Amino acid sequence: MQNRFLPYLLTLPSLFLAAIVIFWPVWDLIQISTHDVSRFGQLRDFNDFANFGALAADPDFMAALWRTGQWTVMVVGGALLLSIPVAMILNTDFYGRGIARVIIMLPWAVSLTMTAVVWRWALSGESGMLNSALIGLGIIDHNIQWLASAETAFPMQVLIGILVTVPFTTTIFLGGLSSIPDDLYEAAALEGATPLQQFREITFPLLKPFINIAIVLNTIYVFNSFPIIWVMTQGGPANSTDILVTHLYKLAFRIGKLGEASAVSLVMFAILLIFTMIYVRLAMREQRA
Amino acid sequence: MSLAKWTVGLMAGMSMLAIAAQANAGEVRVTVAEYSAKTAPYFADVKKEFEAANPGITVKFEVVPWDVLLQKLTTDITAGTNADLSIIGTRWLIDFVQQDVAEPLDSYIKPDFKDRFIDTFLSPSIMEGKTYGLPIAASARAMYYNKELFEKAGIAKPPATWTELQDDARKIKALGSGTFGFGLQGKEIETDVYYYYAMWSQGTEILNKDGTSGLGTPGALEAAKLYKSMIDEGLTEPGVTSNNREDVQNLFKQGKVGMMITAPFLSNQIKDEAPNLKYGVAAIPAGPTGARGTYGVTDSIIMFKNSKNKDEAWKLLDFLFTTEQRAKFTQGEGFLPVNKEEAKMDYYVNNADLAAFTALLPDARFAPVIPGWEEVAQITSDAMQKIYLGGDPEAGLKDAAAKANAVLKK
Repeated sequence: MQNRFLPYLLTLPSLFLAAIVIFWPVWDLIQISTHDVSRFGQLRDFNDFANFGALAADPDFMAALWRTGQWTVMVVGGALLLSIPVAMILNTDFYGRGIARVIIMLPWAVSLTMTAVVWRWALSGESGMLNSALIGLGIIDHNIQWLASAETAFPMQVLIGILVTVPFTTTIFLGGLSSIPDDLYEAAALEGATPLQQFREITFPLLKPFINIAIVLNTIYVFNSFPIIWVMTQGGPANSTDILVTHLYKLAFRIGKLGEASAVSLVMFAILLIFTMIYVRLAMREQRA
Repeated sequence: MSLAKWTVGLMAGMSMLAIAAQANAGEVRVTVAEYSAKTAPYFADVKKEFEAANPGITVKFEVVPWDVLLQKLTTDITAGTNADLSIIGTRWLIDFVQQDVAEPLDSYIKPDFKDRFIDTFLSPSIMEGKTYGLPIAASARAMYYNKELFEKAGIAKPPATWTELQDDARKIKALGSGTFGFGLQGKEIETDVYYYYAMWSQGTEILNKDGTSGLGTPGALEAAKLYKSMIDEGLTEPGVTSNNREDVQNLFKQGKVGMMITAPFLSNQIKDEAPNLKYGVAAIPAGPTGARGTYGVTDSIIMFKNSKNKDEAWKLLDFLFTTEQRAKFTQGEGFLPVNKEEAKMDYYVNNADLAAFTALLPDARFAPVIPGWEEVAQITSDAMQKIYLGGDPEAGLKDAAAKANAVLKK
């Protein structure tokens, strides 16, 4: 007869560690966000959630919230759509596959900030590489000011977001694809299934748990991703490319409203928590059915 | 081995520990901003020279990029792990004073020490009659113009007024071949300041006399309309809101921009990166009434109230503000001299570029010393970006003035 409490006892140390690393900062954030707080973080009086009220009344915050949704959906969605075919190609046996895999993984190895800096240069209006390339190819006849307005800057940021999310997603899918036994495809081919049918009936259903993992993890990463937008536009011009993290950074470290900034970060935490719970619940139910 | 020997050994060991502890107590930590690639080597030299002259004191410089300096200070102060001294933007000083983290330096400052400074640059660091910081870096802005483009366009001298500037910009634009008349900065730090140059020339100040925002005045509107008309007419570089100060400076160094307003350090950069560029430095253009203004800015080095080594820290400050040290730092970084003796050196007296800057100092405005200034500046920059992108100047400024006044009222 095993001790019923043994599992709990065994997880206690890691729970304790998690409490220090995760729960303590969150507790601290709750403290800061519900109090009047000085520029340097000294707590003053409890202020009846005035910081949260200020956020709800701030059009820049609401715009950033909405844009964060677009940003996350487009980057995660785009990365998924791109990664499935990439992973499938890399899973087939061809000459130079090793090199191809390395190339796909490279963006992952470069720091995100450096990637963003390089793209900022490349997208510069007068001396940027992209403009000279496009003019050289005869696609455009005058320089496009990519980062001058949100209409061109934000789509470019999304594209770069997708680019840097693909390696991680592809890695997950490659793991998933290698777990699908080859004889399934052989049998399907014998029965006369087309490649498209094979994808729809075999690859996609068996890849689903991996897609679910990729969606949850990527959503968390992308939702919180700071460097691409900060380095390229700092959320500008006129806050038109702000997402919640860049908005938070400006609130905290430019303007010195630590209370409101903590409130933003709690809102972000709540959104991610709720999203993850709902999604995991849905994905689990689907798998059981 | 006898007990006595053990005791002696133990005592020796303890005294060594005591010395070690003392050495630790004599450590002065300083957070400094990285102005250029020359900053870190300069402070490394300071450490060497100062420690040699002051045995028992060790100095530790933490060199931090400008962009993250305020963030680092905020987190350090919140956690209570701040250094003994730090460079800060003087415009942040009021927050440090109000939150009671800055130590007044008056008890250390002897009359002859105070006499080393040029008053214009020391006064922004004085609040409520107490000196909280010493100006470690000082700068002003003036207009750079490309002599070659001026010559090609047939312009004899740099513009004295904004109307002349527009005319000159038209002539430079007419040269074609990717040249732009006026470099207008529309992104990141000092986007608001670039607008103030035009605003000040209309006789409008950042704050009205009653303490409300100047953005709601007719002069502010005129200034915004001036810049917007120049953008619409194609007299500026395209994509204004994608160009920060460095981007516009780079265009100037490449000879693509006829005129731009920036700090003295551009001269140093041109010397290193575009030595063949023929340029001149002139006053910032005046408005219809002859009013003009430039932006004066100082960074202060402050002592923290919770420092445990204030006397040692003061010794370092005294060392940093000797004429010799000041000259080395200021000339390396391309700042203006804050020290009277230093200003008399040949380097400054015979330098035409710097003379243009110092001539503008009587017209210099410093960032207003008010709490919430950073937020007002952010509001102004955002409003300008909207206008530069094609927004209506009148509505944009009205909205910005209302927002700024809400901050100022607090």
